[in-house]
Amino acid sequence: MPFIEVNNLVKDYKLNVRKKGLLGSLQSLLVPEYKMKRAVNDISFSINKGEMVGFIGPNGAGKSTTVKMLTGILVPTSGSITIDGLCPYKERKRNAMRLGVVFGQRTQLWWDLPVIDTFELLKYIYKIPEPRYKKNMELFNELLEINSFISQPVRQLSLGQRMRADIAAALLHDPEIIFFDEPTIGLDVIAKEKVREFIRYINKEKGTTMLFTTHDMQDIEKTCQRMIIIDQGVTIYDGTVEEIKEKYGTNRTLQVDFSENVEKIDIPGIQVIEEKGSKKRFKFRKDEIQISSLINELTQKYSIVDLTVQEPEIEGIIREIYQGGIKFDESLCGVR
Amino acid sequence: MRAYVEFAKKAFQNNIAYRADCVAGIINAIIMIFVNICVWKAIYEDEQAVDGVQFKMLITYVVLAFLMQCIYAMDEYRIENKVRSGSIGLDLLKPINFSGYIFSYNVGILIFRVVLQLTPALIISIILFKMLPPFSLTMFALFLVSMILGYLVLYCLNFIVWISSFWFYWTFSLVTIKDAAVMILSGALLPLWFMPQAMVDFINLTPFASIYYVPITIYLGQMPMEEIAFALLKQLIWVLGLFIVGRLLWRSALKKLVVQGG
Amino acid sequence: MKKKPLYSPIEIFVLLMKYAKLSIKSILEYKFDRVFITIAIFCREMISVVVMFLILTRFVRIKGWEYNQMFFLYSFLFLSYSVFVLFFAGMRDFDNMIYSGEFDRFLTRPLGLMYQIVASRIDLSAALGHGIVGIILFANTAFSVGIVWNAKNIFYYIVVLLTGAVIQASIFLFSACFSFWTYKVDNLRNMIFFNARRISGYPLSFYPGIIQKLLMFVVPFAFVNFFPAQYFLRKSDMSSYWNGFLYMTPVVAVIMFLLVYAFWKKGVSRYSSTGTAM
Repeated sequence: MPFIEVNNLVKDYKLNVRKKGLLGSLQSLLVPEYKMKRAVNDISFSINKGEMVGFIGPNGAGKSTTVKMLTGILVPTSGSITIDGLCPYKERKRNAMRLGVVFGQRTQLWWDLPVIDTFELLKYIYKIPEPRYKKNMELFNELLEINSFISQPVRQLSLGQRMRADIAAALLHDPEIIFFDEPTIGLDVIAKEKVREFIRYINKEKGTTMLFTTHDMQDIEKTCQRMIIIDQGVTIYDGTVEEIKEKYGTNRTLQVDFSENVEKIDIPGIQVIEEKGSKKRFKFRKDEIQISSLINELTQKYSIVDLTVQEPEIEGIIREIYQGGIKFDESLCGVR
Repeated sequence: MRAYVEFAKKAFQNNIAYRADCVAGIINAIIMIFVNICVWKAIYEDEQAVDGVQFKMLITYVVLAFLMQCIYAMDEYRIENKVRSGSIGLDLLKPINFSGYIFSYNVGILIFRVVLQLTPALIISIILFKMLPPFSLTMFALFLVSMILGYLVLYCLNFIVWISSFWFYWTFSLVTIKDAAVMILSGALLPLWFMPQAMVDFINLTPFASIYYVPITIYLGQMPMEEIAFALLKQLIWVLGLFIVGRLLWRSALKKLVVQGG
Repeated sequence: MKKKPLYSPIEIFVLLMKYAKLSIKSILEYKFDRVFITIAIFCREMISVVVMFLILTRFVRIKGWEYNQMFFLYSFLFLSYSVFVLFFAGMRDFDNMIYSGEFDRFLTRPLGLMYQIVASRIDLSAALGHGIVGIILFANTAFSVGIVWNAKNIFYYIVVLLTGAVIQASIFLFSACFSFWTYKVDNLRNMIFFNARRISGYPLSFYPGIIQKLLMFVVPFAFVNFFPAQYFLRKSDMSSYWNGFLYMTPVVAVIMFLLVYAFWKKGVSRYSSTGTAM
């Protein structure tokens, strides 16, 4: 049985329609008018224990609403959620006991106090036995080097340190499932890498189920096996990261540096997308043209200084999906 | 000059956004005036002078003091917020006078309050509380002049407190203590004639009486003509004196800002 | 089958102490600031006392109420507010918790929401600022208004102080609950809490009927100071009220809290169906 099971999840928001003008504002105060907005429209998925899943989607797509329902902050309009047999909003506290949440933009640490004080409090909130607390603190220090700033007030920490402390705080009680909301936002490249490495390690060692929402595709690419793309309240993709690359990343770019100016390249199936003197960029579909034969043909016909083939970045694919450039076939949704 | 008019306009528009809050503010003021009058009625019941001129004057005093509180309200934490967020650095780069900007912003709030709070509250007060009309037309004109000077005294005093945010991280305490001093010593809550002589003598050495007590007594015709000129002059001197202190503090604040690199 | 609760009562209490320890530690991080704030609050609260003092030196008594009795009446407001703000400051700051997202965090924790709100805040500055005013007034009046401080009276005094704090907490929570529906609650709060409290500084009998009814049945400040004080003073103006009101403060506190708690529950369920304050 899957660890997390979500069926036909729907969330409607009641929006207050505000009228303009003094009379209008008085009127909306006395006789409020509402408009319904469907933020999540019939989403279903299931997640197994120990999986790492990334939720992505443009702003307002419904991904954070979905995550809020999973964590028990919001109650769904209809549909069901079960996390290891518990319903997060009906048994909020019991569910929360084995849940960890990291909000990238909001800290759960006490702002004016040293990090260790919040940790001590969390020890009591989650009833962490002393040996396990000690062991975890050692582990977090080894991987996140939290001891170097553990006795500094949170307000004096750098963003990277604060985020490390926040992640440690959320994992202190060995939650079975953890939600990351933008865990690397605002961090520099090195700090991001450190955080990702830690997350991967914890998943491997402790088998924690992990759910992400992020804008940084690299977070997903480097940590998750699976991703769920949500747009306009519906799941438009649910599958592995490789799969989406394979299936939709069919375009390749070839950059060629010719030794002399070449007027026209006459090879069927390729398209010039950029020309800069002797440098040219071509686009072609890998299912139409074999790369090896294309390179062969080019080197035979022309004299070439340099040549690179570029694979599409997942970022580019996702952007195309949002813009409607890629249409999914039904069969792909809910692969699992 | 154009720029400052724009700042005042912007302050006016910012405040318009909170209309519901504004209405609640008027209701609050009316309730508090009403309740205060009830207390005074209870106090005067034993003296059996509830219908006397003295009592009517007291009621008028209470109403005026509350209405003036409405329009004397300023944005107490604007400078502090700018200092703490560091946006003051940007403001100082602009080709405007910062103190002028703060002043015109508060004038915008003043105009907003006169138009949308004072006017309705005044009309309701005249109908409900039967306040006395001004003693004479001349006195009314002098009252307006004195009230403007009173506003300026309070503004200059406030400015000094606001500037202290360059030295203190939070100014809540200082602002609160200043407010408490203004409320009690300026006669905003209790006319000076109820206070012991020693206290009045002390108050006369401070700028506080210039803020509420002087304008209201002029309105009530309680101040002889020859004293009025002197009182107005005193108000003016306080405005200038506090203004100069404010300028000096502002200059050392700028120095501090430059030393710290903003 | 009823499941075992997550925490035992002892664990709940120990955790509360841990929260309190952190709050106090936070306060001590800015000792100078906190002391200064305490002084400022003391000054702010003293002005209404000074005004009353000046009026009473001029008029000696108002409607049969004498100097000492007036200040004894007033002392209830300060002392019970001090108790309230020491234990329930979270209810006061609750609207900010919604805007800052702290409330979302509470929802992801295995503890009760009200528990976390109450546990996470202690306002020592306000408690001291109000408390000192209250103690000054109490010390100057309690032994000169003819009260016999026997065990029964001391017990009832403590009961009305604590339940008076609960009434104030309920009124505050009531105003804060509106932040589940609307954005700015400042002026509303001024109206139903601070102004109502200011009005209650003087005996209830000074006011016209409508204001008396409001202070008895809508924002029941009358049960925070007027009726408790009357229990000890038995002034003649008590004759116009039902005598039972003298003993009603704890009852009013319980009823008020239950009503506001139901309103709060409604607000929370609205919050969890909209996820926003608006």
